[in-house]
Amino acid sequence: MSVAPEPILLDCDPGHDDAIALVMARRSPAVDLVGVTTTCGNAPIEATTSNCLRVLEFIGASEVPVARGCHRPLARPLVLGTADGPSGLEGSPYLPQATMALQPLHAVDFLAQQLAAAPQPIRLVATGPLCNLGLLVLKHPQVLPKIRELVWMGGVFYRKSEIITPTEFNAFCDPEALRLVLASGIPVTMVGLDVTMQVLVEAPQYAELAKIDTALGRLVVDWLKFYEQLHRNSMGIGGALHDPLALAVIIDPSLIRTRTAHIDVDLTGTLTFGATVADFWNERGLAPNARIATEVDADRFFALLYALLRD
Amino acid sequence: MERIILDVDSAGDDILAVLFAAASPTLKLEGVTTVCGAAGPIEQVTNVVLNTLSLADRDHIPVAAGAWRPLVGNAKADMEAPVHFEKRLVARFGERLKGFNPKAPKPKRPPHPRHAVDFMIETALAAPGEITVVATGPVTNLAMALLQEPRFGQAVKRFLLLGGTFATPGNMTPVAEYNFWADPEAARVVLTAGVETVLVPLDVCEDNRAATGMMSRDDLFDMAARATDNPVADMICEVFPIYIDIWREFFALVAFPMDDVIAVALAFEPDLCTMTEPRFVDVVLDGRLARGQTVAFHGRQILPGGDAASTRICTAIDGRRFMRLFQETIARYERAPAAGREGS
Repeated sequence: MSVAPEPILLDCDPGHDDAIALVMARRSPAVDLVGVTTTCGNAPIEATTSNCLRVLEFIGASEVPVARGCHRPLARPLVLGTADGPSGLEGSPYLPQATMALQPLHAVDFLAQQLAAAPQPIRLVATGPLCNLGLLVLKHPQVLPKIRELVWMGGVFYRKSEIITPTEFNAFCDPEALRLVLASGIPVTMVGLDVTMQVLVEAPQYAELAKIDTALGRLVVDWLKFYEQLHRNSMGIGGALHDPLALAVIIDPSLIRTRTAHIDVDLTGTLTFGATVADFWNERGLAPNARIATEVDADRFFALLYALLRD
Repeated sequence: MERIILDVDSAGDDILAVLFAAASPTLKLEGVTTVCGAAGPIEQVTNVVLNTLSLADRDHIPVAAGAWRPLVGNAKADMEAPVHFEKRLVARFGERLKGFNPKAPKPKRPPHPRHAVDFMIETALAAPGEITVVATGPVTNLAMALLQEPRFGQAVKRFLLLGGTFATPGNMTPVAEYNFWADPEAARVVLTAGVETVLVPLDVCEDNRAATGMMSRDDLFDMAARATDNPVADMICEVFPIYIDIWREFFALVAFPMDDVIAVALAFEPDLCTMTEPRFVDVVLDGRLARGQTVAFHGRQILPGGDAASTRICTAIDGRRFMRLFQETIARYERAPAAGREGS
């Protein structure tokens, strides 16, 4: 049995975990990666864009169109993520510079072009700050109905343990863009820290990954060894596969359970700007705009990850 | 010749700014871009500009539609208040209010195919150091251009912004002027971009100390008297009495303030206004009470603060000279061949 792969667009800021999500998107038979856009976030836009091209070229996906996006958040100075090192992709210095060309359009215009051309509404995955999508809402509102769903890695709601911070980086980095997206009518599925901090790469996962004795398998392990340092040193845990989980949810929605609510983001809190707040009791009287991932089947997620990394 | 792009939200004085810019012999109006603001939705704003340029017989000037909403904005009812505030004047003016911001009829040409932001970016990058952008509405489009294209800030010559207020009370809240209140996040992006900027705050237009620069009924009589066959002067004399009356009644100003026209005039007559040395100007974003307030860093404070000092703030205006310039420019729309009349 073969089902036609689903066309998707990926907006990302590679970033080690973004890079793994890119690899998964390209290698999954369920998904047709029709375009990738880049944003600042884990590193400056020049670095995330370069990383994106390097990864795609390494996995033989140089025909995938890539458009560079925002160099800064909409309304705030850029605060870079810290997990991925200065280049955004430390740990793999041997990965060659890419030779493939960028799209001549800015990400916001590339997304609008792709959405306008899509015969049916399609799904987007966003694994970085939402700068590009915020700008899309402002600039091209007429294409928004062509987004069937946005699966977004970001936000945090329950914070059941001290390993989960009060604000999640992608929301914190550009909360104004997040508000634009949440108010836009785009159906959003939020794959936040509540579930992504449950897919950690610890000794058993490293053992499984070590069995994938290919250039790609070794590259992913090299990435994860660097990427886990922040988590290991500050929280004593392995690297959390935030972005791969968001991408996996596109391939298999049954990996998560969700709860529906109207969500907004705090813009002015002294210590809490970027905090995502869900109105579960519908006190604001607004229609739900998002599904929040509350539970994840980590074992099945990792099984999917290993399968996609194996030849 | 000063090459300008005029970015407007099509409130009453924006219409005058478009007419003024399109007729000025010392300006080359590269295009008009539109933004949602005090006159309502972006379609209305764009249609008003297209119709205004048709009246002016300037249908060759591109009009590119821009942002349909601000970056963050404010509560919906508050955002719509300027479009509906005339309802509070019904008892005073009755039927005459129908002449205030009426729904625009369908224009005879479509807008430019490119988005306002692309029009700005492409025009500026094609002529580095040449293009002045005069923004007389919320600065959403300018912020979007800076966010999308880092080279835009280096390519423009300067910004002329109608926005903010310092000593004069605000027209939207006690401390905030409408344009910067409507999209304060965009205003911060623009003011902190390091681009050479002239700021025209309410202090030099919506304050009775600047009354000589406002358009009174006397000015309408003067324009009517010198016109023989001038459709633009006719329109102004017909439409603007209600604007004069509203601004007298609602804002207690002696006549109709010409905020946006002043901003355009400064593009080629910079000494119409007295200005400060370049300062860093910021906008209050948080909180309700002071949201949208402009804050200028003049120095002499104990705490350090402020970024690049790139903005000159207008503090006084030669109102008589400005009004003479406005009337002379509108007279250029005269179609009757009359010897000795100034203008072309």
